[in-house]
Amino acid sequence: MTTFANALGSAAVLVTVGAVVVLWRHRLRSIVAALAVQGVALAATAALLGVHEHDRGLLVVAGLVLLVKAAVIPGLLARVVAATPGARESDPLVNVPASLVVAGLLTLGAFVAARPIVALVGGPTGKLVPLGLATVLIGFFTMVARRRAMSQVVGLLLVDNGIALVAFLVTSGVPVIVELGSTLDVLFGVVVLRVLLARLSALGFSDLDQLRSLHD
Amino acid sequence: MSLASPLIGAVQLALVVLGGPLLLGLMRVVRSRLEGRDGPPVSQPWRDIAKLARKQRTRPSESSWIFAAAPLVLVATAATVAVLAPLVTLAPPLAGSTDFIAVIFVLLVGSVALALAALDTGTAFGGMGASRALTIGALVEPALLVAVLALSLPLHSTNLIAIVANGSRHVSTLLGPSHLLALGSFIVVILAESGRLPVDNPSTHLELTMIYEALILEYSGPDLAAVTLGESMRLAIWLGLFVNLVAPVGIAANAHALAVVVGLVALSLKVAVVGIAIAIFEVTTAKLRLFRLPELLAGGFILALLGVVTGAVMR
Amino acid sequence: MVYWLFLAPLVAGLVALLTPWRPAVAWLGATSAAVVLVLGVGFAVRIERSGPVGSGVLRVDALAAFLVIVIGSVSLLATVRSVSYLTDEVRTGRSTLRHAALYSTLVQGFIAAMVLAVVANNLGVLWVAIEATTVVTTFLVGHHRTPAALEASWKYIIICSVGIAVAFLGTAVLYLAGVHAHVANPLDFTTLAAHAALLNAPVVRLAFTLLVLGYGTKAGLVPLFSWLPDAHGQAPAPVSALMSGVLLSVALSAILRLRVIAVGALGPTFPRVLLLAIGITTLVVAAAMLLAQRDLKRLLAYSTMEHMGIMTVAAGVGGPLALAGVLLHILGHGLVKGVLFLDAGEVLRLEGTTRIARLGGLLARRPALGAILALGLAGLLGLPPFSIFVSELTMLRAEAGAGLWWVAAIVLGVLAIILAAILAHARTMLLGASETSTSSPASFVAPLGVALGAAVWFGLVAWPLAHLLSLAAGVVA
Repeated sequence: MTTFANALGSAAVLVTVGAVVVLWRHRLRSIVAALAVQGVALAATAALLGVHEHDRGLLVVAGLVLLVKAAVIPGLLARVVAATPGARESDPLVNVPASLVVAGLLTLGAFVAARPIVALVGGPTGKLVPLGLATVLIGFFTMVARRRAMSQVVGLLLVDNGIALVAFLVTSGVPVIVELGSTLDVLFGVVVLRVLLARLSALGFSDLDQLRSLHD
Repeated sequence: MSLASPLIGAVQLALVVLGGPLLLGLMRVVRSRLEGRDGPPVSQPWRDIAKLARKQRTRPSESSWIFAAAPLVLVATAATVAVLAPLVTLAPPLAGSTDFIAVIFVLLVGSVALALAALDTGTAFGGMGASRALTIGALVEPALLVAVLALSLPLHSTNLIAIVANGSRHVSTLLGPSHLLALGSFIVVILAESGRLPVDNPSTHLELTMIYEALILEYSGPDLAAVTLGESMRLAIWLGLFVNLVAPVGIAANAHALAVVVGLVALSLKVAVVGIAIAIFEVTTAKLRLFRLPELLAGGFILALLGVVTGAVMR
Repeated sequence: MVYWLFLAPLVAGLVALLTPWRPAVAWLGATSAAVVLVLGVGFAVRIERSGPVGSGVLRVDALAAFLVIVIGSVSLLATVRSVSYLTDEVRTGRSTLRHAALYSTLVQGFIAAMVLAVVANNLGVLWVAIEATTVVTTFLVGHHRTPAALEASWKYIIICSVGIAVAFLGTAVLYLAGVHAHVANPLDFTTLAAHAALLNAPVVRLAFTLLVLGYGTKAGLVPLFSWLPDAHGQAPAPVSALMSGVLLSVALSAILRLRVIAVGALGPTFPRVLLLAIGITTLVVAAAMLLAQRDLKRLLAYSTMEHMGIMTVAAGVGGPLALAGVLLHILGHGLVKGVLFLDAGEVLRLEGTTRIARLGGLLARRPALGAILALGLAGLLGLPPFSIFVSELTMLRAEAGAGLWWVAAIVLGVLAIILAAILAHARTMLLGASETSTSSPASFVAPLGVALGAAVWFGLVAWPLAHLLSLAAGVVA
């Protein structure tokens, strides 16, 4: 096993571990911190691939990912969390040990689902695709298993980071412009979410969890 | 000059027996210093053991031979592993058959013996302690086994010596994500198995929160000395195994006397460093409430599982 | 050439953004929609004569031209209605001038994003365009800034973002398949479709599934549809009309284009099974929700879901006949659903509620609103002479013709249940006595009447769309 494969593997694993930590921790502050770590790991993955394949564009993307996913987005979320100090995911719909077991099962499922891609891509990069897919699935699960609006946003970002990881790994040459577009779009989406939260607090709601009026 | 393998076993055993209580003392000193106290000297656990060994033994009137045998079982299992495990050298006695899973189960026999003894006393605290200890044990075990699976993936072997030897020969194995995840899980397991914070507070005597202390509440005199010695040996063994899996630096590759001496020093230093690190961690952390423990241990489990998946993926 | 399509929305949007809002700004928006419609017709004429226009990233083929016409017509309807809607909102103080200006800007952005989505010949551009519709419409859904509206827009952006993320994953995986097949431009629709047979089948299977799930979220298909009734129920009526009438169809058209690649790479079976499963499930879920519905706007939203299900089933069957039916259905449904949402918006303004049980006697109390509602529902249910009758019949014939009798039977059965459900709701709302009777201004009735008339026209005579429809169906058959 080469150093490159090890480093790339560690960075990719860290992305998945970040997703697990989101399920693991209760304090929203820790959850946002896990997201930031995940952003760093994602940027590291892109940077490693960029260096390895001598792809300047990918290095630019890595820088952008670092800026947006490790700094700006967690920063925006942290400010929302700071408004309610000590906010916790105290009573998730699925309790933590069960969630973690589900995360394990999802990881195994991702392993199975990614087989066609692994078979097609191969090499040290292609082999890591299941980790990205696992992150995506854990993100989905976070969105359904957690109550807090903030946790749902984080779940969405987990999905997005997982997808970015897969995209980096399978097509280290996805047109840079598409990567840029997707990263900026995510930033845009988070800004929209924050505007919504601000409008809500203008109406006197401390968070979205008090809104449960629409249903059939 | 090559040493005979029984002699090597004896060296390892001596190190664990003498060093275990000193490790415990070292960790206490670090904790007291960080908390602003002077604290007892490093040798205090040895003095305690010596003092207890001279005292009179009392046993609960209802207890049976199980209560009497448990301290011996604890010390004997720890001693067995101390002789056979790759602590100082990669050439301990019976090197070909030192299975990782077997080692773990021998150690767990000691835990179960203590829990049975606590039940045997028939007191409320004993029962409570046993139930808590076994709950933790039941949660630790899957994490531990999956972590072993992750560690054994590169070699397709659960031979503990082969795993450690592979690590010392191929440094890249040590830096592989699968190995790192398994070791992360291993840390959680060690903290739980040896009753350290945040799982259990080793210095508490508050009835509601104690786990390990409740188990051994009825022991006194030489029995308590044996239990203390056994527990400190187990802690030394867990940490010794851990440091050799993380960084098998300095471990003696053969039975040469000089190499064994180097291995002895290296192991002592590495374990001391990890012990100090754990003590520092314990000062900065609070004990988890009992019902939050499954979360911690499930986290350890999932780390190990990720380790297995990664190992399988990257192969 | 293709860029002209974006000029009018751009100008109208900038004017709305930069100048203080007044009714003229809203009229400019309507003009922009009319320009889009006219350009769509112009493209259609040109394509019928000399084939697709443009190449590379943006390309107008028959399907794109047809969809631009649909976008143009429904947008025209909605923007004309927006004029009096915004004037009224401003007059009654429900919206500030700033909010009205923001609304006008966002609607133009919405139209431009939808046009971009249908003329995109590139998977990446398509993705960005669909994502842009989500970001823009989130604010439009939350226009009223009530807690319920904000909840709806929250749900909308969260669920649609998940969908769009899945679609991105699908895009990346499809790109991967293209790269490994050494396709020259692996994000290009035309190139991928031409070289589909070279693509790695298991990977395309994964990609197509992800893309259908992802864009299906925007098209209101199962499993991620729960944003739809909330967003449609809370958005301002013209926005609901635009979303329900065209946005969902635009997302569906993306699936139609992707299906061509999937069929090329996998053969017809897998795409058919996937689309039939999703379409039929959507249809059944929609029927179940329609049965017990208590709110008019949510009723209309679930009905949109039902129609998306019908079209997905037909797309799964495939073939020129089925797809011609799908495309005609997109047009007919867009017009009728647009009219119905605008009507429901007026009902909400005048009656203060859209609860079905509280609307009893609508036909007697407000004859014009009631009549439009009755006619619109009749059109929606596929009663002749509305074009939905023709398109549903075409799709059913195509299903039966492909030997999939059981599919046609299921669709017919569910349609019968929905017919009964909607008729029962219609009876509750429309019939009953009322002491007062208020007429509606011609400025409200006329545009809706024209749209309903158009829906009937295309049901009776296909002219002048027949040739364009068959060309467009040929693109994705």
